[in-house]
Order: sequence, then C-alpha cells, then structure tokens
Amino acid sequence: MATTTDHHSAHGDVHAHDDHKPGFFSRWFMSTNHKDIGTLYLIFAIFAGIIGGAISGIMRLELDHPGIQVLASVNHFLGVTSATMDQNLHLWNVLITAHGLIMVFFMVMPAMIGGFGNWFVPIMIGAPDMAFPRMNNISFWLTVAGFCSLMISPFVPGGTGNGAGIGWTAYAPLSTSGSQGPAVDFAIFSLHLAGAGSIMGAINFITTILNMRAPGMTLHKMPLFVWSMLVTAFLLLLALPVLAAAITMLITDRNFGTTFFDASGGGDPVLFQHLFWFFGHPEVYIMILPGFGMISQIVSTFSKKPVFGYLGMAYAMVAIGVVGFVVWAHHMYTTGLSEDVKMYFTTATMVIAVPTGIKIFSWIATMWGGSISFKSPMVWAIGFIFLFTVGGVTGVVLANGGIDDNVQDTYYVVGHFHYVLSLGAVTALFAGFYYWFPKMSGRWHSELLSYLHFAVFFVGVNLIFFPMHFLGLQGMPRRYPDYAAAFEYWNHISTIGYKVMAASMVIFFVNIIYALVAGKKAEGNYWGEGANTLEWTLSSPPPFHQFETLPVIGDDDHH
Amino acid sequence: MKPGGFVQTISRFMKVLGLALVLLATPRIAEAQSAAPAAAAPVVAASAAAPVAVASAASDRFAVAPGGYTPMKPTAGKGMPVAGGIGFQTQYSPNGQYALWMHNSILLPVIVGVTIFVLLLLVWVVIRFNARANPVPSRTSHNTLLEVIWTGIPILILLVVFVPSMKLLAKQYKALPADALTVKATGNQWYWSYAYPDNGGFEVISNILPAGEATKRGEPEQLGADYRMVVPAGEPIRLQTAGADVIHSFSVPSLWFKLDAVPGRVNEKMLFISEPGVYYGQCSELCGARHGYMPIVVEALPRPQYNAWVMTHAGAKVDGAPAPAAAPAASAPPASATPAPAA
Amino acid sequence: MTAASPSLTSAPRNRRVGLMAAGVALWMLALGYAAVPLYRIFCQATGYGGTPARASEIQASTVRELAGRTISIRFDSNIENGMPWHFAPERTTQTVKIGARSLALFDATNNSDHAITGAASYNIEPESAARYFTKIQCFCFTRQTLKAHEHVRMPVIFYVDPKLIEDPDARDVTQITLSYTFHPVAADKDAVAKGVTK
Repeated sequence: MATTTDHHSAHGDVHAHDDHKPGFFSRWFMSTNHKDIGTLYLIFAIFAGIIGGAISGIMRLELDHPGIQVLASVNHFLGVTSATMDQNLHLWNVLITAHGLIMVFFMVMPAMIGGFGNWFVPIMIGAPDMAFPRMNNISFWLTVAGFCSLMISPFVPGGTGNGAGIGWTAYAPLSTSGSQGPAVDFAIFSLHLAGAGSIMGAINFITTILNMRAPGMTLHKMPLFVWSMLVTAFLLLLALPVLAAAITMLITDRNFGTTFFDASGGGDPVLFQHLFWFFGHPEVYIMILPGFGMISQIVSTFSKKPVFGYLGMAYAMVAIGVVGFVVWAHHMYTTGLSEDVKMYFTTATMVIAVPTGIKIFSWIATMWGGSISFKSPMVWAIGFIFLFTVGGVTGVVLANGGIDDNVQDTYYVVGHFHYVLSLGAVTALFAGFYYWFPKMSGRWHSELLSYLHFAVFFVGVNLIFFPMHFLGLQGMPRRYPDYAAAFEYWNHISTIGYKVMAASMVIFFVNIIYALVAGKKAEGNYWGEGANTLEWTLSSPPPFHQFETLPVIGDDDHH
Repeated sequence: MKPGGFVQTISRFMKVLGLALVLLATPRIAEAQSAAPAAAAPVVAASAAAPVAVASAASDRFAVAPGGYTPMKPTAGKGMPVAGGIGFQTQYSPNGQYALWMHNSILLPVIVGVTIFVLLLLVWVVIRFNARANPVPSRTSHNTLLEVIWTGIPILILLVVFVPSMKLLAKQYKALPADALTVKATGNQWYWSYAYPDNGGFEVISNILPAGEATKRGEPEQLGADYRMVVPAGEPIRLQTAGADVIHSFSVPSLWFKLDAVPGRVNEKMLFISEPGVYYGQCSELCGARHGYMPIVVEALPRPQYNAWVMTHAGAKVDGAPAPAAAPAASAPPASATPAPAA
Repeated sequence: MTAASPSLTSAPRNRRVGLMAAGVALWMLALGYAAVPLYRIFCQATGYGGTPARASEIQASTVRELAGRTISIRFDSNIENGMPWHFAPERTTQTVKIGARSLALFDATNNSDHAITGAASYNIEPESAARYFTKIQCFCFTRQTLKAHEHVRMPVIFYVDPKLIEDPDARDVTQITLSYTFHPVAADKDAVAKGVTK
C-alpha cells in the first residue's frame, strides 16, 4: 500500500483548509481544479453522447427497411419544411458526418482523456493538480466552443442542402469544391477548436506526468492508467497538429484559392488522405489506449492481484503507439497504391496484432490465480476484453491489402470499428464509470442496475454491430441511406439491436439519478483489498485540494 | 523519461520490437518466394478461362455474333447480394476465388479460433478463479516464458496469414498483356460513364433505374442501371478509373474488385471475369447526396457477343482487329466459323 | 527501483517541459505543411502516385535505344466536368522502342465562345513504370490558353528509360498508360460555369 502523509484526507475528515471552494460561477465556468474540470468533461461527453446516439438512432430507423423513410421528417424538424429528395439524401450525409465527429471528438475523447484523465492522473501520481490548471480550463471551453461550431453547421447551407455532408474523414474534393456553403467551414473549424483544446490537454498531461509525480513514484511504478494517458498524450501531440495542418489547407482551398488538394492547380486529393490518416490512425489508438489503462486497473483491483507483466503491458502500449504512426495507408488500399506500398502497409498493420495480443493475454493472466469478485466494473471489463478481441480479429482480416479490396468502405469496416470503439472504448468507459463513480460523487450507484445495464447493453450492441459484418461481406457499402432488398434482413436485426441498446441507456440514466438522489454514501476505499492506487487513499469524493502534503511511495509497492 | 528505468526493461522491450522489425522486413522475402508460383499463374488462369471460350480462342477474338445485342437477364443470386447472406458473394474471377479461399480457409478459422480461445480462457478464469472458488489470490505477476510464448505464437499465426496475403497481392498486380481490352470507368455526380478507347472510343452513360423500373426488368432494385458496362468474359481487361468531379469508387463485390476513381488521375487494375453473367456493384466512396444511387452493372459476354454489342455503337470497331472496320460485316474474319451476319 | 525521484514540482520546470511539448506540436504542424512539398519531391523521385520523370534535352541525349525492345504506350485524356473543351490523343496507343525519343500528339478544341485557360494534371499507370517514363517536352508543363473555338495540336516528347528492364517490379509491364486531365484554371472556373448554364 502507498503510504500517505496526507492522513487527514485518508480518513475523509476534510479540514477547512482543504475545502475553500469558490462560488458557483467561478467554480464551474472558470474552474482550475482538475476534478471539477474532469466532471465538466464527463457531463459534456454524456450530453454529446446523447446527441450522437440520437443521430445514430435516426440512422438505424432509416435503415430499418429499404426506401427513404424518416429523412424528410428529420429535415422538417430541423426547419427545412419542403425538402427535395436530394436535400433529404444530403441530410443523410450530414447525419453520418455529425455522428462520427461527435462520437470521436466530443464523446469518447472528452470522456476518456478530459474526464477520467483529468480526474485520476493527478491523483494516481500523487500530484495536487495538473501542471497548468488555467490551460486545463481553456482546453475544456475550446472543446465546448468546437461543439457549438459543429452544432451550427446543420443549420447553414453546405452544398446540396444544409449541413456538412462530407463524412468525418472530410475527403477532398468533396469537402472543397464538392460542397459550397459555410456549413463545411463550421464543421472544419469545430475540429480546429477541439484539436487546439486537445493539444493543450496533451501538453498538460505530459508535463504533469513527467514533472509532478510524488516522491518515489517512478515511471515504472506508475499505474497503467497513467501510462496509457502518457502514451495517449504523446499521440495527441504528434497527430493532431497534422490534422490541424490538413484541415487548414482544406479551409484555404475552399476559401482562399489555394490548390493543396486540387488537381487543377497541381495539388493531389490523395495527399489529403495521407495527411488525414497519418492523424486518423493514431486517433483510433487515442480513443482506445486510455480504455486499456482503465481495464488494467479494474482487472487488477477485482482479481486482487497486481497486473501481470506490468512492464510488458506498459511497453505494449508504447509499441502500439509507435507502430500506429506507420500504418496509415491501410485506410487507403483502394486509392491506387502500388504493390510494394500495399505489401508494406499490410505487413506493418499485422504487426500491431502482437502488442494487442500481449495486452489481451496479460489481462487474462492477471485474472488467472486471482480471487475475482464480480462487481459491476469487473463485469464490464470482462465484456470489454471479449468484445475488443472480436473487433481486433476482424482488424487482422482488414489488414490484408488484397482482402480489403472487397470490404473497404463496406459495413464490414463499420462493424469492425464499432466493435473496437462502440463496444470497446464505450464499454471501457462504462467500466471506468462504475469503477470510479462513487469515488467522484461520493455516492453509490445501484450495482443491480449496473449489471442490468451491462446485460441489456451487451445484447443490444452485439445485435447492432455483429450483423454488419454479414452485410459488409455481402457487399453493402457504408454511408448509404438506402439499399437493395437483399440487405434488409440483417439491417432490420441491427435496428432492433439499437432499440435494445437504447433501453440500456435508460437504465444507465436511471442509475445515475438514483445514485445522486438516493445513493448510499461511499467510503474512501469502497472496493477494498486489491484497490491500491492512490485515489483509494482519499475520501469519496476526494477533498477539493488533495495531497497538500505529498504521499511517499515505498520501494515495495505494486502497481 | 529516465534512462535508468529503460536499462532494466530494455531486453523485454527489444524482444517485442525485434520481432516486430523482423516482420517488417519480410515483405521482400515473401515477394521473392511468391515470384516462383506466380510464373505458373498464367497457365492456371488460362485453364480457368478454358470452359468459357466456346471454340478456339484465336478465331473468336474478332468474330461478331449474329443477331446484335439483347441485354442479358440477370441470374437470381449470381453477381448480386442474396437475402440474409452472411458471407462473401460467390466469386467469378480467379483472383477473387483465391482471395475467397484465403478468407474462408485461413483468415476465418484463425479469427474464429482466436476469439473462441480467448472466450474459453475468460470462461475458465471466471469459473475457476472467482472469489468463492479461490479465496486466496496468488501474487504471481511475471512469467518470462509465458510472455515469450504469447508474443511468439501470434507472430507464427500472422506468418500463416502473411504468406497467402502477399501471394494475393502479387496476383492482383500481375502485369496485363499489351493487347488487353481497355475500358475506362469515370465516376460523375451521380452516374458512371464507360469509355471504350480500343473499340473506337464510344462512351456509355449509365444511370440508376428509377424505382419500380428495375423490378419490371427483372433486376434488383437499387442495383439496376439503364445501360451496362459490357465486357468480354474469360480474358484480362485493363480497367481504368477516373473521377470527373469528386472521388468515387468502382466496386463489384462478386469480382473482388474495388478501385477509387480520383479526379485528375487515372487508376488501373486487372479485371478478369471467368464466365458470362451480370454482376452488380455500387459506388464505394462518399461522393455527395446521391452516393447511394449510382450502381455499377457489369455484363460479361463471350467474345463474339461482346463484339456484336460493340458494333451496335456508331463508329465502333472490334479491338485489335487488323484493319479498322468500317461496317459490322467487314469485321467478321473470313476464317471464322461464325456465319456472316445477314446484311 | 532506485532511480532518483523527481523533486516536487516547480513552475519553471513545468514551463520548460510544457514549452518543449508545445514545440513538438508546432514542429508537427510545420511538418504537416512541409508534407506538401515533401510529398511532391518524394513522388518525383520514386514515381509514387504515378509521377513520371522529367529530363532536359541534354540528359535525354545520353540515353541509348535498346535494340529490339519495344513497349506499348497508351494515351488517355480526361476533362474536368463542365469544361467546354474537346481533348483527345490523336492515337490511342503507340508502340515505341525502349530508350528512343518519341512524339505523341493530343488534339484540343475550345468549344465555347470565350477564351479558356486550362492546366493539365497527369499520371502514369502502372505506377511501377512511372519513374522510367521520361518527358522531355510536354504541353502539361505550362498552362494552355485556347481562344474561342480554337483548335490546337499539343505535343509530348518522351522516352522510356532502358533501366525499366532491370527493375523486377517494372520489367513485366507491357503497356504504359499516360493519362492527362484538363482543368480550367481557378480564374476561369466562373466563366466555365457560365458556359455550362448559358
């Protein structure tokens, strides 16, 4: 166990000097407290997730049967009263674009990095706060501003209809000469804002983790969640500026007559794809690595065992991060790459399976020989390991350049990346949520509802996304609002799955409300034996300022 | 980060990294290995094509079948998705068959096996090591041998996937003969146009059939087009793609074919269709509002019938014919067994 | 683990690490822009993306013809949607000796009632042969202005580098496609749009 000299807070009797909370406005709008900012990020992510999830609901309803069903009503709802068919079809593209951007930039990233990262990185390394608390606040509000910019875009013209219908990948020239109107500029600008916020966040995390560890907390003693955040922060720092450069070039191509991606001026549209995926592939690891970190903490806690192969786990994440930067063109196998290039990217992509396998097997080995208690976070974590494996193995199929020729841009790809993200990252988020919610709020959720949430969610998401593999193999292209009759069966099943999943979300919200209204008070280390990172030495919720006297980590500590 | 920590773990890290680098270095080796079987490939391709060629290939090359051209009726379930289907469509090209074999016989067993293995481990752990069954947790947190094994075995499994994967790529990039028929598919918002530069340069504009019309013609809704990309079966075709406005993607699932149509450049790839038939595909790169409404219909015909289709166009000629044909009759070679078309 | 623990945070230390991280971010941003010229240079050096090689008259004069080795060249032409030009090669294919200087001609006609300036983009397929396809002169090196209803014949002078047959990736290539696409230059795009809707 970590020895902490902060004995007051260890027993939850918070002294007055710990608790100089500012007034409501200063506390929540000008916050410099990492825990408050983390809470803001989590609330924001849940809010964005509701919007992104509602959009996917519209998509699933539209795809329930062949033909165009609900798009006209949605257009009506958005204020376009007499939309043409083309405007309705354009709306489809707006929806898929918004769903992708919201879920990636405004749900998963804020929740994982902004939410849990902000909350627990400083605590886990024994630091009083982040290195740059004010910049932390700016990061959050830039993300909110970015979201607002994205929310404006569906209400202004973007080509065939209102909104940006360019896909989250924003390929030129569809996003340049192919879409007139300010909607696309608003959507791109939202990425600038969110990107700037994330880069600042990355700088903050790197500085905090490298500089502010408590005495004795060496890099090789850091909890794996902190390791995952460190690797993620480096990925953000290296990848996001490239996206910023690429989308700035899109903006200037659109508005100021440059021709970076325009063949008529000597540019190359494929260059945009190279730049986008140089960012985009590390981005998928940005979304999943913090999840890896959380799962490692949870599995270790409830197995009452230290993480198996700690160093292998830490460096597997580093390896995934490094290799993640040299595989980008596997998203571009059909753009006309030459044989050598395809062979290289096929090989490099397959290599990623090795460190990923190390992680999966190390989690299982952590459980092996353990004394496992199946509290709700552990159930979610086991679900994560299985679902992430399913998403991972289809990645091995897609890695093959020659096989990808038939599944590129089909529902197989949609199934694959939702298994690693919607079922992987989101499952990890819920695991982390139930793991830490009593710590953050000081109140217990209902474990029963958490199990129920898991069971219904698990059935729902598998029903949504597993049939997508079948649809993709049969050749259904992605980003289609309508399809041939042969695809109806599995699309219908998938839509049923969505309804099940939506029901599980109701359970989730009921659970939160229950916890906040009637939840039992949570003690400091409510998971007991096995939970031995520093946040468990504090009260629940932790004092407004923790570790005013730094904890000292002994030599015999486990991770 | 501090070097002191690295020194203690460098061997473990290098082990992983070293193996990764070996994998990275292997494409050249595999390429060299795949060169040998590739040499035998033309024979295989030729024999695969044999049942298609109705008579001796040489004389049929320029033969024009009598009776002009009537659009072929699609065969239900061939070259199109089937209701409730869970696998790839049946493949009608040699490379597609190889890729399908690789997916069904190598990739699928591997991924299903790995998933079931992980699932069984999880189930075992849950049963055997729950708090009731195992009240005292062990403190084991390292086992070098185990870690080497679960790094090494995935690498071996990946090698099993890697070899056919490289072979498949080599097959897909095999150089085309100089006299292969060239067809150019251009993606437009929102239709395809097909140009036949070797047949006199005519162009076919292909639009989606309006709702209901496809059913009337016996074609699947959403997939049927008014005019098709007609090509000869049983011979390699140099298919080139270009985009006229934004990026589109030419894709036919039953032929294992997908190639982006990028504005400002042309892409090229071999298309080989083993037998006559109608094969459906759809645009596979987001290209604007009607992205979902620009289907691709490839109709593969025996050579003489293809030539007959070609000759229905003004100014057309049979590709590779010794002298440019002024009239359909002139293009029928004298030695052909086909009766001369009635004038 | 006996490595020295980092001391308690101090603001200057944080500022230093923070600035270094910010520097990395700025460096990556710069690299994002540098990717544009670097990509072009990379393509020109390796033929990536089907970028053909370019040679001066002097460089070209040192290339020797390979006795008895020919290769087929295909010429392809495209026009950006809406540009009122007709543009096509005079011959679709041409068989040339490897290493020999060859000439190909393209016909271009401006079908509109006003002058239009076009710029051509181009590439080579298959990509593995691109670095050996060498242009000495090309209409695509500069912009071309065609007056209303003007017709011109535009030349390309090129050779296929004999090194092609030494490259295991390229020596099996039997036909090389040279593709051009004409685009109206930005200044003329409005005129083109008007021309379409007139």
